[in-house]
Amino acid sequence: MTSQYAGELCTLLIEDNFGELFARIFSILNRYDRLSFSRLKFYSRLSNAQLRHGLAAMIQQHLVYHYTSYDDGITYYEPNMQSAYYLIRSGKILEFIEHRLGKYAATVMSTIMFLGHAQVGYLETLPALKPSKSDVNSTSEECEGVQEAEENQGDEVHQETEEDEKTENRPNGLNSDYAPAEQPALLHPTLKALAGHGYILRVRDAQFQSYADNTLDAERTIKSRPDIKALKGKKLEEAVAEGTLELLKERLDGDLTRGLMFNGVPRGAKRRHTNGAHGAPNKKARIDYAAVDEDEGGDGEEENEWSDDEFGEDTIPMESGITVRINYEKLDVALRNRRFLELAERDSSPVTAEVYECLLRRIEYQTAKCRDNTEIPREGEEGEHYSVPVPLRAVVEDVDLLLDLAGSVGPMEVSQPINRRGKRPLEENANGAVHESNGAQSDGNRTYEVDQHLCLLAQPPYSLTSKRMASGLITWTVEFRHLARKLRHLELERVIEARYGDVALRVVRVLHDKGKLDEKRLQEISLLPFKDLRQVLASMQTGGFVDLQEVPRDALRQPSKTIFLWFYDPDRVCNSVLEDTYKAMSRCLQRLRFERNRLKEFLEKTERSDVKGNEERYLSEAELTLLEQWRAKEALLLGEVARLDEMVAVMRDY
Amino acid sequence: MASAGAPGASVTELASKLYEHCLNNYPPDQLFYQQDLLGLGIVPKSDLALLLRCTQSLVDQKLFRLLQGKNDRLAWKIISREDAEKLQNLSPDESLVYNVIHSTGRNGIWVRAIGTRTGLHKSILDRCLKSLEGKNYIKSVHNVKFPSRKMYMLAGLAPSEDVTGGAWFTDGVLDENFINTVAGYIEYTVSRKSWFEVPSADASRIKRLKTSDGSVSVKQEAGQKAFIPFPAGYRGYPTVSMLTGAVNESGITPVRLGEESITQLLDMLCYDGKLVALNNGEMYKSVKNPEAVKQSQARKPAGEDKGIDDRLVTNGMTEAPCGSCPVFKLCAPGGAVSPENCEYFDPWLEKSLGF
Repeated sequence: MTSQYAGELCTLLIEDNFGELFARIFSILNRYDRLSFSRLKFYSRLSNAQLRHGLAAMIQQHLVYHYTSYDDGITYYEPNMQSAYYLIRSGKILEFIEHRLGKYAATVMSTIMFLGHAQVGYLETLPALKPSKSDVNSTSEECEGVQEAEENQGDEVHQETEEDEKTENRPNGLNSDYAPAEQPALLHPTLKALAGHGYILRVRDAQFQSYADNTLDAERTIKSRPDIKALKGKKLEEAVAEGTLELLKERLDGDLTRGLMFNGVPRGAKRRHTNGAHGAPNKKARIDYAAVDEDEGGDGEEENEWSDDEFGEDTIPMESGITVRINYEKLDVALRNRRFLELAERDSSPVTAEVYECLLRRIEYQTAKCRDNTEIPREGEEGEHYSVPVPLRAVVEDVDLLLDLAGSVGPMEVSQPINRRGKRPLEENANGAVHESNGAQSDGNRTYEVDQHLCLLAQPPYSLTSKRMASGLITWTVEFRHLARKLRHLELERVIEARYGDVALRVVRVLHDKGKLDEKRLQEISLLPFKDLRQVLASMQTGGFVDLQEVPRDALRQPSKTIFLWFYDPDRVCNSVLEDTYKAMSRCLQRLRFERNRLKEFLEKTERSDVKGNEERYLSEAELTLLEQWRAKEALLLGEVARLDEMVAVMRDY
Repeated sequence: MASAGAPGASVTELASKLYEHCLNNYPPDQLFYQQDLLGLGIVPKSDLALLLRCTQSLVDQKLFRLLQGKNDRLAWKIISREDAEKLQNLSPDESLVYNVIHSTGRNGIWVRAIGTRTGLHKSILDRCLKSLEGKNYIKSVHNVKFPSRKMYMLAGLAPSEDVTGGAWFTDGVLDENFINTVAGYIEYTVSRKSWFEVPSADASRIKRLKTSDGSVSVKQEAGQKAFIPFPAGYRGYPTVSMLTGAVNESGITPVRLGEESITQLLDMLCYDGKLVALNNGEMYKSVKNPEAVKQSQARKPAGEDKGIDDRLVTNGMTEAPCGSCPVFKLCAPGGAVSPENCEYFDPWLEKSLGF
């Protein structure tokens, strides 16, 4: 994440979202990495006040890490690339939240996002989150045009930050003495739902420091403990490493899901079939909800997605002293699951995909992050890592009762070949019988069918699920690392196919499967004429997708006595494509800015406070068309950036 | 019995007896060791010296071929009379060359290798080869692995797959059209067997359910057939032998294809992402259903435009102009190639937005 293009992209993003001051500070920090205030001031040539305001607000937005050294008492600032990058994913996240938990939840989420982090008490006071207005203020265009206000607020925000930090140190617990009467009706349940799903977490002190600083700090603390001091050599190292990890976990942990989870499911989320039994309207709502899977969630239905009537305790509000922020790691898990689901949808029937979605959701609740280590391990060095096993029973519970499970899986035995259409009396019978039982399915039957669908998913080529037996119970898991790898390969293959054609794709797949091959063997397996093969290999080598290894047969290294082996290294290719993706993203953003500049005067006119909202009245016909075109253009470019971000997510985050 | 001529006569007699017996009672490829021949009971008293004289005379008549069996033991093979006649007419050099070429069987042998094994001078060797070829005893073959080498093998033999490169080569060149035809046929065949075609009454039922459900976009039109996958563990997917049989019966191949060739092609189709091997290649399943296969195959000859369905779904990088930009590496803000003066963005925007 520290490459040239990533830095460029993050700076661009910050400039777009927060304005020039932030961008200036960020780009300086990006260039020099870790700076004290005076050096920062020197490089950025900003005034004291500007810099302080900027830094304070950036800390609030988690764009800058700060760390006050114990040795010299100087505070150092460092850019937080990761969270700067996540600015780009905010739209996707909000859309996801809206789909999952409803519009109001998305509004709350966008408010928290907009503020960087926010105290629950402060959220209560925001007019935007008052329930009456919740529909008016749909902040789908998050963070846009916020900069000025933010900069002015700098000081205020900073104070608030400090305040927050103080309040956090209080032990957490359910404050029952809190007066629930005056709470906005929706805010607290929504926050609870968000917290229960793990989409928001508590801000901790340590989160303001970079991971390296935290590690060093924790190490120092551990080392100064008397029991550790007594140890020596290897034992000491081990103890320190272990203690550091523990301490880090303790300090960074902002998990809010405790107490909000019920049997591995967030309380609010337990809506599917617990209440499905006693009311048709409820069921109806569920189906509608599923209907918007691919489109947009937009009806009023979602408002009560999370608020459920069974849990009386749910009226207990969130403690207003808690400061919350977005939990991007968890959201990555959710977004990754969405990608897996898309993969399943491509090759499986919609019914199977829906069963899969139920499984994935169950797993998502119990998965905190996409992987344990910060870097994606090299190909082949990655151990298999299974998700939490989900009992088959739980999946069955979640699957919609009205879903026709039997109709989308064929019979086990086909008595006659398929090509003789209509002449299959036996088969017809078998199939008909399955359908007959569909109406009044017994529970066991349904379980079996869900299992069948999951088995179907477990098949190659993707092996989207895998079956486990745990103490006699069937459980299902998802092999995340394997699938994440698969996604990565798919992305690369798409790029290769688009650039070099399907012949190249075949060659790359052969190389990937077989390792290093010489031309002859490669030809035998890929069944391609030499001419085509050489052409495609050469052009791919120029593009950096495949490479050649020379293995000399004697010490002289004559070309005639050298074996040439082609190989394809997905790790290397992935890294270079990732860089290209960053670059393409920033190019799109730069182009957008350029286009905006071209239309600057016109756009300024449309932004005027009297024109805005009354475009039809003040703008001419031609101008209206232009505005429309501009909007389409902007949407296209931003959409493209979002699509590129999906690739980045696959190659870097999943 | 004690006369000098008698043993000689008896040797020829015995030898021909021996030869007849071997020819009549054993397959032509049978390898005979001394014990085997003695065990036949033709040579009296198991007289080893006598046997050796017999075999030697047979070898001289080219009716036996002397070979070295396991553990450096002597062994013989019979040669049919016609072949023996051929060989008897050859000069010693020629028969030497012929034997070397014979020994390599269907693999053929490189001219230079014949030279080293026979120790003949190049000009003599060339003359031998020429006369042998002229008598139509041997033929030159084209080896795929070493296209520049001149190779020979016996005229009556078909070159092995190592030499020809398998069924997919015609005259040492990969026959693309043939491969594509067979591949297309196989894909369709596999596809028909790996999806369950819902009987029409059921199809409409499913459609109705889906609409009321609302969660699924209804893709099937009224006339289209619906296909659903078989459950996991289904055993009805086609195997290699089934497919080999189907291909050979279909009449699309002029030659009979072996299972290895079909396996090769199936592997290729797997790499193309068209088929999926199950249980380590025991069975094959197609990714697309028969209708989709038919459609994508119908599209190909119609025009060079590659079907969009045929490709993987595109991603951000392939869509953005940067993904296919030839000077992407040079692009930098403020540079000679920059996002501001990029000539790909405008056409792209226009094309995507349609204005």
